[in-house]
Amino acid sequence: MTRPASVLAGPKSRPPIHSQGDKTIEYAEKLLSVFILVPFAGSLIAIFFPSDQRGAISWFAGAIALVCFLVTAGLYPYVASGGVLHYRIDWVPELGLNFTLRMDGFAWLFSALITAIGVLVALYARYYMAEEDPVPRFFALFLAFMGSMLGVVLSGNLILLAVFWELTSIVSFLLIGYWHHNAHARDGARMALTITGTGGLAMFVGLIIIGKIVGSYELDAVLASGDAIRNHPLYGTVLVLVLLGALTKSAQFPFHFWLPHAMAAPTPVSAYLHSATMVKAGVFLLVRFWPVMAGTEAWFWIVGLAGLTTLLLGAYFAIFQQDLKGLLAYSTISHLGLITVLLSLGSPLAAVAAVFHIVNHATFKASLFMAAGIIDHESGTRDIRRLGGLFHFMPITATLAMVASAAMAGVPLLNGFLSKEMFFAEAIETHLVNPLDTVTPYVATIAGMFAVTYSLRFIHGVFFGRPPADLPRKPHEPPRWMRAPLDFLVLACLVVGIIPAQTIGPFLHTAVLSVLREGTPDYSLSVWHGWNIPLIMSFVALSGGIGLYFLMRSYLATAVEGPPVFRLLQGQRIFERVLVTLSWKWARWLEQRLGTRRLQPQMRLLVFLALAAGASPLLLGNFELPPLVIRGIDPAFALLWAIGIACAIGSAYQAKFHRLASLVLLGGAGLVTCITFVWLSAPDLAVTQLLVEIVTTVLILLGLRWLPKRIEEPVAAEDISIRVRLRRLRDLLLAIGAGGGMMLIAYTVMTRPLPETIASYFLERAYREGGGTNVVNVILVDFRGFDTLGEIAVLCIVALTVFALLLRFRPQSDSLEAPEQQKVQNAFDDDHPDRAAGDSVAEYLFIPAVIMRWMFPVTGMLAAFLFLRGHDLPGGGFAAGIAMSIGFILQYMSGGTRWVEERLRIHPLRWMSIGLLVATATGVGSWFFGYPFLTSHAQYASLPVVGKFPLASAILFDLGVFSLVLGATVLILIALAHQSVRAPRAHAKAARSDKEAVR
Amino acid sequence: MSHLTDLPPWAALLVCGLMLVGAATTLIGSLGLLRLPDFYARLHAPTIATSGGTILLCLASILCFAVLQSRWVFHEVLIIFFVTVTTPVTLMLLGQATLYRDRFEEQQGVPRKQKPAPGEE
Repeated sequence: MTRPASVLAGPKSRPPIHSQGDKTIEYAEKLLSVFILVPFAGSLIAIFFPSDQRGAISWFAGAIALVCFLVTAGLYPYVASGGVLHYRIDWVPELGLNFTLRMDGFAWLFSALITAIGVLVALYARYYMAEEDPVPRFFALFLAFMGSMLGVVLSGNLILLAVFWELTSIVSFLLIGYWHHNAHARDGARMALTITGTGGLAMFVGLIIIGKIVGSYELDAVLASGDAIRNHPLYGTVLVLVLLGALTKSAQFPFHFWLPHAMAAPTPVSAYLHSATMVKAGVFLLVRFWPVMAGTEAWFWIVGLAGLTTLLLGAYFAIFQQDLKGLLAYSTISHLGLITVLLSLGSPLAAVAAVFHIVNHATFKASLFMAAGIIDHESGTRDIRRLGGLFHFMPITATLAMVASAAMAGVPLLNGFLSKEMFFAEAIETHLVNPLDTVTPYVATIAGMFAVTYSLRFIHGVFFGRPPADLPRKPHEPPRWMRAPLDFLVLACLVVGIIPAQTIGPFLHTAVLSVLREGTPDYSLSVWHGWNIPLIMSFVALSGGIGLYFLMRSYLATAVEGPPVFRLLQGQRIFERVLVTLSWKWARWLEQRLGTRRLQPQMRLLVFLALAAGASPLLLGNFELPPLVIRGIDPAFALLWAIGIACAIGSAYQAKFHRLASLVLLGGAGLVTCITFVWLSAPDLAVTQLLVEIVTTVLILLGLRWLPKRIEEPVAAEDISIRVRLRRLRDLLLAIGAGGGMMLIAYTVMTRPLPETIASYFLERAYREGGGTNVVNVILVDFRGFDTLGEIAVLCIVALTVFALLLRFRPQSDSLEAPEQQKVQNAFDDDHPDRAAGDSVAEYLFIPAVIMRWMFPVTGMLAAFLFLRGHDLPGGGFAAGIAMSIGFILQYMSGGTRWVEERLRIHPLRWMSIGLLVATATGVGSWFFGYPFLTSHAQYASLPVVGKFPLASAILFDLGVFSLVLGATVLILIALAHQSVRAPRAHAKAARSDKEAVR
Repeated sequence: MSHLTDLPPWAALLVCGLMLVGAATTLIGSLGLLRLPDFYARLHAPTIATSGGTILLCLASILCFAVLQSRWVFHEVLIIFFVTVTTPVTLMLLGQATLYRDRFEEQQGVPRKQKPAPGEE
């Protein structure tokens, strides 16, 4: 369903390669799906690796990343000079939801970054992860992250973008919490997820509003309608929402504090997610929407203020970190702030600098993280105060780290210098006349100075000075291949720094061209621009930074973690205070005000709300009651209903003290309903109703045993307080209101003339297209098969919930004891040496039990009968499943839990999952024949003896329904049955321990 | 399927007779359930209704539809089988439960439990 390539690309962005024919383009566009499929498939496979195969699995992950990288590299010609590739699968085109992948130059640059650094990190992680770490989980998450991140950058649809965006947050959460035995890791992970997830949600809302403004969620359409978005009255709202997403993800002030805490993650994760890729998603989004949203006053103020604050504070905080990774984390925050400031300025040249710095920062920061990891790995600590003089032990790593941190500081001839020069040049330009613009160059210089200071601190504090005496391990050079990624990245820093135009130049140009289109400015990527103000600013920053470091050196060598004064104002503390208030204090308060642990008020509230919700539209929208017409009453039918009504009222009346009687009466009302269905010619409903009635009655009967006892105290009528009377009156009125409302609705619906319904449509086509004469069943399994699939999934969830609730169910102490009869029988059996426990009941039940056991195959036959005739006559998978479960219930009743489970294999969970799988697989199966999901195929088959019977492919689907219904019912049954086995045992145990305590 | 009027007179008469007798038996069973003096006696009344009445009604049905469609109809045979097998189970359970309770409460006129003969278990 991919659309022809050239439709969206437009005449302007048509790449020159088009002349080679549309065939290659189409092929290239298909390749885009590789970016999503391969990493996620790899992630699934990686889970199943044995955990001692560290080498194999990292090779596997590296190979997957490499494949993605090679595909990226191969696609370059198609996106160079402004080409755009699209790959689209329509999902719900009516709602604008399509699976659209879109690669332009900028997305290409990001994909290249993600996949290339992915390869290096996979290699690095192979040596970094310890023997005892669960490596398959790590690499599975790593690959899943790569897939989601590629999804973010390649999404061509806003909704898809939001989905992948949240996926990166979730995978990041799991990766930060990888060592979940560590409390820091858990807290850091939770914090990161809360912040980025909340931001992502805000962004999602923003994206939906954008989609509404533009009228399409496709990125191409959005990028083409910048003016419409900027001039829309909702622009402010959209801006704030989208920026919330971007700024939280990129750890911008005031949301920056999650990133340092995310450093509890394994170092490869920090290198990959929290420096090179995921935190760049925020600035990626800013660049993506730069052409349509930037350039306004609001954009300038919000983005600029956040960026400048982050730039300055991040750099300042980084100086005072004692943890190597903490220093790098704050430095990352500061550099992301720099990129954000560049994007706030609204000038194309600044945007070029921003894109350039994204790449540069990724290279040097990833290598620095890897170096920090090596230092931690080989020396056993990351505390700068304890480290020192490592140059002697690991000279090569030290040199590499020094080059990388020089790039971070912005030393000439390295890549960091180039983008920083561009930043300085942009900072001194005047873009808008306001105070923020005026302070930018000064802030930039000061932040540059701080950057030099912390880079120097990193180098000097770790590699020079006195060699440490008390390190946990004796440091040495890492294995050759652990250092290889570092070599490569540092080489990249150097090469890009010295000959930028020949190396990164064309790729940068492609990326910038795709963002800025016609507005792409002329810029020069040379190292030497002559003596100008930016160069002077660089020198001021360099010399100032060096001076600052030597002034503060002695303080830093002994200081506690964190910057002075600000240390007291910790983001984490504020965050946790807010969380506690929100999720504990306020929630508790609300629960105390509104909540109750008793069932009755909850039910009352539920019924009341339902009544109000149902009544309000009727009362507001002048609803007219249809005239009451009484005619043609069949006396037999009226009598039947009188019995039914009497049963229902009696059931309600008896519900308080005589539950059993109430249940029996309820069954009577159910039977009347069932007969009504027969009367009104709805045999399908009648069969199902009858079976459901039987099963529910039995299950409730089993559950009755565990309800708390009600103490019936005779209270004289005049003793009942007025409050109780009022309460009862209110409940009665509520019940009458709800019941009467249902009656009115039913009456109104039934007395209206039927409009042109689809019933005739189904009646006409049931046999012709569905191959069945039982229209109800054909509708269920064929025409509306997708609904049924959803319904059985819900049934599955409900059964599991009931099971889970019953599994944790601890009965009231008064119903814990065995029933009196059982105790008497057991005592009798115990007193007679020739009798075993349970003999009495077995004797009494002997003949009925045998007959009930014999009924099992017969019930099975009935179920098969209902199942097979389902397509043409009343019956079907649902009825058959319930009928079969009655067979099981009979077995449990006659033989007892242990007896049955010794003889039959009862695996309700398995049956349910098989049922769901079969039903889904039937639906998917029609894809292989080129039809839409759940297309049915019908024909007749014949068996000896049975004769001809319909064999539609829907029967397989029905088989799934059967299996799931059977599993769900039996699951609830055994949950109750096991309760009976478990409770006496627990009770006996408690009694025994009590006895021992007395002794 | 042909219409009921297509039924030959001899078959119609037979079917009618079976139906009437069956219905009467069922009615008698129901009356018995209402009128008989104590629980144990009452237990027997529905048995007459189900075993006797149902069999007769089903026979009527078999005859009617066998003649109309000129083939044997087995559904009713199964129904007879099921009803005669399953109804006693319910009644037996009820009877045993009552017997048990009456013995436990040592009611008058309840047969004592016999000692199980040796070797019977």
